[in-house]
Amino acid sequence: MSTVKKAVQDILHEDVISDKVKNYTDEPYFVKKAEKAKEFLRQHPIPERYLKK
Amino acid sequence: MNLDRYHFIIANDYRKYIFYSDGPRGVIKKVITYTRLSDTPLTYNLAFGDENAAGVVDDAVVSDNQDRDMVLATVASTINLFCDRYGNHFIYAEGRTPVRTRLYQMSISRLWEEINENFQVLGFVNGDWEDFQHNVNYEAFLVKRK
Repeated sequence: MSTVKKAVQDILHEDVISDKVKNYTDEPYFVKKAEKAKEFLRQHPIPERYLKK
Repeated sequence: MNLDRYHFIIANDYRKYIFYSDGPRGVIKKVITYTRLSDTPLTYNLAFGDENAAGVVDDAVVSDNQDRDMVLATVASTINLFCDRYGNHFIYAEGRTPVRTRLYQMSISRLWEEINENFQVLGFVNGDWEDFQHNVNYEAFLVKRK
């Protein structure tokens, strides 16, 4: 078993809340994904029939 | 949902989650983020990708770690936590390519019984949103916790 794999298994045997998670907000990948999603929903908004449920 | 899933690290704002896919291709770091898209109706974007050793995230590589359903169950669990914190609002998701989106659709179909208990799932096809149906190739999904 690699050291990385062992370390991961040691760390994540449960869910952990952390204040040390990198802020991915400005990560180009996520920025691009959000922009694309925003544009898609602008062009194809959620129909009223689903908003009333 | 009581499906097998990976444990994750939750950022204290509950908008970012990290977990490690573990399979034949090794241990792969996965990052999930939730970004607010619109206020009316309140909608968030769910995006996830692989973070490489240099700290760059993308989903260009098909990791093929033979744990797709476990990854989906993990993502679904983060939706629950996110909704606990931010409320039950629409969450938008799509794959980088039609093939990737189709893989999501197949996983949703396989896990439908569990997913349908807790989530309303809409798919976008032929220019409109509809309730999720099996064997339809959707372009995008909207998920809302019931």
